[in-house]
Amino acid sequence: MRKTWLRDYIIKRLFYAVIIAWGVLTITFILVRVGPTSPADKYLANLAARGEEPSQVIEAIEARYGIDKPIHEQYFDYMGNLVRGDWGWSFSTSMPVIELIKKHWIYSFQLILLSTILAAIVGILIGIYSAVKQYSKTDYIATFFSFIGISIPNFWLGVMLILLFAVQFGLFKTYYDTSVPLFSLANLKQLILPVVTLGTAMMAGYTRYTRSAMLDNLRKDFVRTARAKGLPERTVIGKHVFRNAVLPLVTIIMFDLGSIVFGGAYLTEIIFGIPGLGRISFNAIFADDYAVVVAVTLISAFLVLLINLATDIAYAYLDPRIRYD
Amino acid sequence: MTKKRLNKLVGRVGGIKNLVLTPLASLWLLTLLLDIFTPGKIFSPLGYLYIAIGIVVLIYVVWPLYKSRRLVNYYWQRVKKNKLAVVGLGFILFLILLALLGPLFTADPTAVNFEEKNIPPVGFSVEESVYHAETGQFITKTASGTWGHPLGTDNKGRDLLAMLVSGAGVSLQVGLLATGIAVALGTLIGVVSAYLGGKVDNILMRFTDIMMTFPFFLLLVFIVFIFGPSLAFIVLVIGLTGWTGTARLIRSETLSLRTREFILAAKALGASDGRIVLAHLVPNVISLIVVIATLSIPGVILAEAALSFIGLGDPSVTSWGMILRAGQQSLDVTWWVAVVPGVMLFLTVLAFNFVGDGLRDAFDPRSNV
Repeated sequence: MRKTWLRDYIIKRLFYAVIIAWGVLTITFILVRVGPTSPADKYLANLAARGEEPSQVIEAIEARYGIDKPIHEQYFDYMGNLVRGDWGWSFSTSMPVIELIKKHWIYSFQLILLSTILAAIVGILIGIYSAVKQYSKTDYIATFFSFIGISIPNFWLGVMLILLFAVQFGLFKTYYDTSVPLFSLANLKQLILPVVTLGTAMMAGYTRYTRSAMLDNLRKDFVRTARAKGLPERTVIGKHVFRNAVLPLVTIIMFDLGSIVFGGAYLTEIIFGIPGLGRISFNAIFADDYAVVVAVTLISAFLVLLINLATDIAYAYLDPRIRYD
Repeated sequence: MTKKRLNKLVGRVGGIKNLVLTPLASLWLLTLLLDIFTPGKIFSPLGYLYIAIGIVVLIYVVWPLYKSRRLVNYYWQRVKKNKLAVVGLGFILFLILLALLGPLFTADPTAVNFEEKNIPPVGFSVEESVYHAETGQFITKTASGTWGHPLGTDNKGRDLLAMLVSGAGVSLQVGLLATGIAVALGTLIGVVSAYLGGKVDNILMRFTDIMMTFPFFLLLVFIVFIFGPSLAFIVLVIGLTGWTGTARLIRSETLSLRTREFILAAKALGASDGRIVLAHLVPNVISLIVVIATLSIPGVILAEAALSFIGLGDPSVTSWGMILRAGQQSLDVTWWVAVVPGVMLFLTVLAFNFVGDGLRDAFDPRSNV
């Protein structure tokens, strides 16, 4: 009974995911088409700026972008190309966009992964501690700092960290050094400031959430029962309260990835010069390199979509109470 | 007979105020769109936004509040107990006064003066090496803050205080106007979706899902990159993309209201859908709307600041993000230019968060998040 229900649920979610993916592609297409300048115009301007003769390449560009075709054909071409893995040509770096992304995604990935994991671990630990020791001095300090952490603009925090630790104390370089191998201590060291920049707001949020969820669950009847039957406090907190409090946090962390973390990582990469997807999109914006900006926007949207889908399906497996309406 | 007809029409759109409001709003939207996409402007687009949002606030916030003064007083007593919320409210009022009256007392924030560049704030002094033309050598000179420029100047000699005052205006405008648009849109979509249900609900919610799939800031960057930055356009884009969270929250709140007795009673009395939505459902979620609006302002202000910070802001206005950008570019010389606007941003965000939390606690004593 539940098994067939689960299968139906997953099929339904997959179906929705396809609709959303289609919507994302369509909205992006419309925005680019409605925009005041066409990609070809910007391409031409770029060529002219480099002293090349535009008229020779006009036909090639029109054929490349399919500008001369009717709009619905352009729309299907655009979809088809993306699905086939042809994400366009980045003229500012002179390579296919897909190659550019393959070269740079790892820098964003390491930043986001490290920040999220650290923020979750530290946030949850502090949250548990201040819930268990409610109204203690530590609790007040943790609450105070989590409020500050939530309100501090992350790009300003980044600039201040550079000012303090790189410019004043000279402990770090002001810029991310790409010649450092990825899997080395030196790389971890130069990621400290970016990870703090990106992770602070997340950590503060998780602290606040964990604290209030723990407090909610501490008052529940099953906790009283667990204590009444003489379980040690460690088991009550660790098993009964923590498990119930932390499961919803997974959704929050996953949701944050799309709403806060990608935007935050974009800014963090720009501030510290980390050559991730945010940075290449940023460079592309000021080089008027359309294809790259479109690709980064689409990839981030698809990642959010996949993460949400995975979370929903995992939840349906884990939590028997979940029903889809 | 005409009176009967008019009454019927009024009833259909949900009361006399909506009869006035709807054409007004459509007219405004039309002129606004015309204004944004034509070079010769009749009236600043932000001016239109102010007027429109002013009217909406007057009809949906000020008038109902005035009608139920006792309730307002009751809630105010409860908000007052929350010291942080009162402090936050004080700071917001200070900011509004700063933005309105500050420009009368400060210099032109865009006036460049290389004679007076790199002056630190009052109480600070910095050493800088200056090229001495006669001897042809660099000499070390100590510059200290003067009361002529209380917060110092940047590397182009622009007065930081004047820039800050200008930025306060920009941030408040963007924060209030874009939040106004986003919350109004989110409320409308949420309430309609929950009330009508079925296919409409399904379509609207799938659309919300699609919009939510784009990471907010990346979508913002994308749109501003394509259409170009102007303050009015940035406000509009934030408003038109930032409604998704509100729509979801309002929808779930409305779903629980939909089957309540007073809605059923209104239906039994023959009220139209428009009237039920605007006269019964919206007023009942207004406390939630106020909390959501207050708590979304910081995100909106930060989004605009971040756009300006990466160089995608309106180049014709001095905003906090732009000052911060200038400060970051000469961090080793004029650190104060990076510190001061960030502090203001931080305090503003903190103030709105405090007020929002205070309001939520006052409206709903059960929640302790």
